Amino acid sequence: MNNVSFQLAISSLRRQKTRSILTILGISIGIAVVITIMSAGKGLDNLIMGEVEMYGSDMIEVETKVPNTKKTSMENAMGQASGVTITTLKNKDLEALLSHPNISSGYGMLMGQAIASYGSINKSIILMGEGYNLQEVEKFELDAGRIFTKEEENGLAQVAVIGSSLKEKLFGDEDALGKMFYISKKPFRVVGVAEKRGTALFIDMDSIAIIPTETMQKKVLGIDYLQTIVMKMKDADKSKETAAELNEIMRVQHDITDPNKDDFATTTMEEALSILKSIVGGITFLLVALVCVSLVVGGVGIMNIMYVSVTERTFEIGLRKALGAKNHDILFQFLLEAILLTTCGGVAGIIFGAIFSLVVYLTAVSYNLAWIYSIPISSILLSVGFSAFVGLLFGIYPARRAANLDPIVALRRE
Amino acid sequence: MSESLLEVKNLKKEYRNEDVVTPALNGVSFKIEKGEFVAIMGPSGSGKSTLMHILGFLERPSSGDYFFNGRNVNTFTDDELAETRGKEVGFIFQAFNLLPRTTLLDNIILPLFYTNVHKREWAYRAKKVLTEVGLEHRLTHTPGQISGGEKQRAAIARALINDPAVIFADEPTGNLDSKSGLQVMKILQELNDHGHTIILVTHERYTAEHSKRILKIKDGLIISDEMVGNRQIADGAKELIK
Repeated sequence: MNNVSFQLAISSLRRQKTRSILTILGISIGIAVVITIMSAGKGLDNLIMGEVEMYGSDMIEVETKVPNTKKTSMENAMGQASGVTITTLKNKDLEALLSHPNISSGYGMLMGQAIASYGSINKSIILMGEGYNLQEVEKFELDAGRIFTKEEENGLAQVAVIGSSLKEKLFGDEDALGKMFYISKKPFRVVGVAEKRGTALFIDMDSIAIIPTETMQKKVLGIDYLQTIVMKMKDADKSKETAAELNEIMRVQHDITDPNKDDFATTTMEEALSILKSIVGGITFLLVALVCVSLVVGGVGIMNIMYVSVTERTFEIGLRKALGAKNHDILFQFLLEAILLTTCGGVAGIIFGAIFSLVVYLTAVSYNLAWIYSIPISSILLSVGFSAFVGLLFGIYPARRAANLDPIVALRRE
Repeated sequence: MSESLLEVKNLKKEYRNEDVVTPALNGVSFKIEKGEFVAIMGPSGSGKSTLMHILGFLERPSSGDYFFNGRNVNTFTDDELAETRGKEVGFIFQAFNLLPRTTLLDNIILPLFYTNVHKREWAYRAKKVLTEVGLEHRLTHTPGQISGGEKQRAAIARALINDPAVIFADEPTGNLDSKSGLQVMKILQELNDHGHTIILVTHERYTAEHSKRILKIKDGLIISDEMVGNRQIADGAKELIK
């Protein structure tokens, strides 16, 4: 019986080939888009995580913050971007923080724009002030040379480690080590060339120059404060407690009793990751929800084809009933047709989705993004499950209508 | 006393359309025994089609009883009615009612979809009944490719495939030329000779006279019930019948 119903459904879909194919196409596009978006979500996730993970999950940062704002708030971001400079984060804060038992090492960091020049070449670069112990805190490898030493840092030496692209741009194929060039018109000597790192937190790490923080403070910017203190924890599992304790240390340092008046904020990488993850997840969810609307439209398409099909095949239904078909035989046949349509749409949709996702992946990779090609099983389950549900839901009405036709009336209508 | 194949007692049927009540049958009673060849004859609007629909389990009467093989059909569920249609009844319609764009073979096995007959037996049965009506060479043709007479013979084959207890023929010659009509009547007579019970619905006296007994119906009542004295025998199409 089942086998027979199946053949019946297939043969009647075949008799309406064009219409069946169009319906399948409508459903498959919906499914393909859901899969593509969820796959792109994965790719984006990987990209963003890659940006963050370059620093390692055991990183913890103390950065400046506009008092009376939340660190992730618009006011804080806008305040700092529009030139509110918090000048209270000092080198002595770093020393105090390093005394915490879960902190293994750390350095003060500055970041700014500067012009790098060599001969007649001028380049606008991002200049970073970092510590001699940079490699203890984050993953950082050199192609050539070395990082500046503690002695150089203490002596305000004008030495720089440059990114691999910056090296190309300034020195071409020449050996850069030991060469003098200018940063903001001050002479600096190249002591190291960094390995290619790609982007991190959306900054091209290969086009930056790194100089000792104190050199940047005193010789380049003429300031005595820091923007961020970057530290490494011994035990990343204790990041929450450590962050709270670092806050306390900072409040003592800055003589703050009311946490609302904090002019600093502590961020762990874990926290940064979860914020980014929730943003990506939220965007993906929103897009998938929107696309589900197209699956509903696909379902209405099924309902339409089934409805027309019932009307057109009134005679056939009446004849079948006259020849012994029970109501549920007819119901089952029409439901099976709806299910077959959604299933074919589902299979085609998965194939299209895989192809679209591949195109997205190849495009992303061609832009040098750390994308991955992955089709989440959940996307297949969601889209196919949803469209099968919609297909059934919208198939039931016309199928019931067919099943309840009076055979005599149906036969007269030939 | 042995049970009749079918028996109706004071059968009434009326159609209600909002406030308008149209009576179709006004109390009809008769018996039909196994192996009979009965013509139900009457002008259009007489109620003969309604009667056939009720006898063929396609419709339920408004009142009165219908016994089939001794069972009261009024007690049947919709599914039982459908099952009885599939197993016990073969229908032959005026307009043939074959599925277009579908081969004769597929048309003929249609009733088997709704029975327990094993699929292995389908093709064998289809060939057997197509041979009985002389269409064994037309298996893969579609209705569009054959003549009206052949279509009706295919419809007869379809009616026979479940080996039904009774065959209903509703104006089977109405859409045919006289020669094809005669061939159809010849087949029906042959089937009756082989023991099939046949109930023919027609408005033509000549067609009705091919049966053995004529029930005349008018205004929803049986006005006469007579054996056919001078029966028409449809020969001249002998070569069609095995």
